[in-house]
Amino acid sequence: MKSAVTTVVSAADAAGRFPSMSDFESVKGSFDRAKARLEAAEKLASCLDKFTNLAVDAVYQNGSYELANKDKCVRDIHHYLRLINYCLVTGGTGPLDEWGISGMREIIRIQLLPTAAYIEAFIFIRDEIKINDVMSQQAETEFKGLLDYLINALA
Amino acid sequence: MLDAFSRTVVTADAKGAAIGSEDLSDLRKYVADANKRIDATLAITQNVSCIAADAVAGMVCENTGLTQPGGHCYPTRRMAACLRDGEIILRYVSYALLAGDSSVLKDRCLNGLKETYLALGVPTSNAIRAVEIMKIATVAIMTETNTGRKMFKGINSGSGAQCQDIAAEAASYFDLVIEALS
Repeated sequence: MKSAVTTVVSAADAAGRFPSMSDFESVKGSFDRAKARLEAAEKLASCLDKFTNLAVDAVYQNGSYELANKDKCVRDIHHYLRLINYCLVTGGTGPLDEWGISGMREIIRIQLLPTAAYIEAFIFIRDEIKINDVMSQQAETEFKGLLDYLINALA
Repeated sequence: MLDAFSRTVVTADAKGAAIGSEDLSDLRKYVADANKRIDATLAITQNVSCIAADAVAGMVCENTGLTQPGGHCYPTRRMAACLRDGEIILRYVSYALLAGDSSVLKDRCLNGLKETYLALGVPTSNAIRAVEIMKIATVAIMTETNTGRKMFKGINSGSGAQCQDIAAEAASYFDLVIEALS
């Protein structure tokens, strides 16, 4: 799976060479960011249910989507946030790409669920929830970067 | 291929749970030890030919028939293949050490290695001895317990004594190679 170190190792292996100085530099670079990432992952894990419920309640409040779908929406938003938690840990978009994005749009559509509701929910988490209260500025940047990535992929 | 991070993710996904504080403590240690880990990997990459050559030479010294006509390291072409394999094994051990996970070593190097050696007529008992010597040499260089000069220059000016844990991890990867060949 694509993550901080495996990309470097794959490239070195494809060339049949030992890890070089520049490989070490890029690994070190990702480790420097790792503190913020791991903090974001930890805090997100503890707020996963809260964020999900706040976002889905807000989206289904104004009646533009069928309430019958709400439970499924909760399930899927929770699933996506878990994948974001994984991405924060790996330091790459591997888990989202492999388990969340490829094929997911088709699955949502075939179940006649509104993708717009999902996007709205993620935008709500990104813009409306005060993420700053639970995690530091740097951790928030890492988290929001991945939310943006997911929103773009679903849109 | 996995590293310490993605290994945690795959384990957590099997349970369908998010990764919380208790699972993150090992990763925090991995990140905190990053400099030591890079230094330990450098100890391998800066001494590859030395480690491999010493191991093969040691293996031959203990069993001089190998280089005699009819031996498995005769003629030089087969001796060269032996040195090359030593370097390949060291390369995958260095990948595994950097990644903090053995999957790259298992998937890309050890999977089918014993079968290949059996098919080519390579005596696995001698190969195992060479790997054992590489393990001893690598650990000694990493922890700076080798006799003579300091054999590697880390980027973080850490001393070898701080690499004990990582050296033990490296030794466990060599043990995997030995296990795969026996």
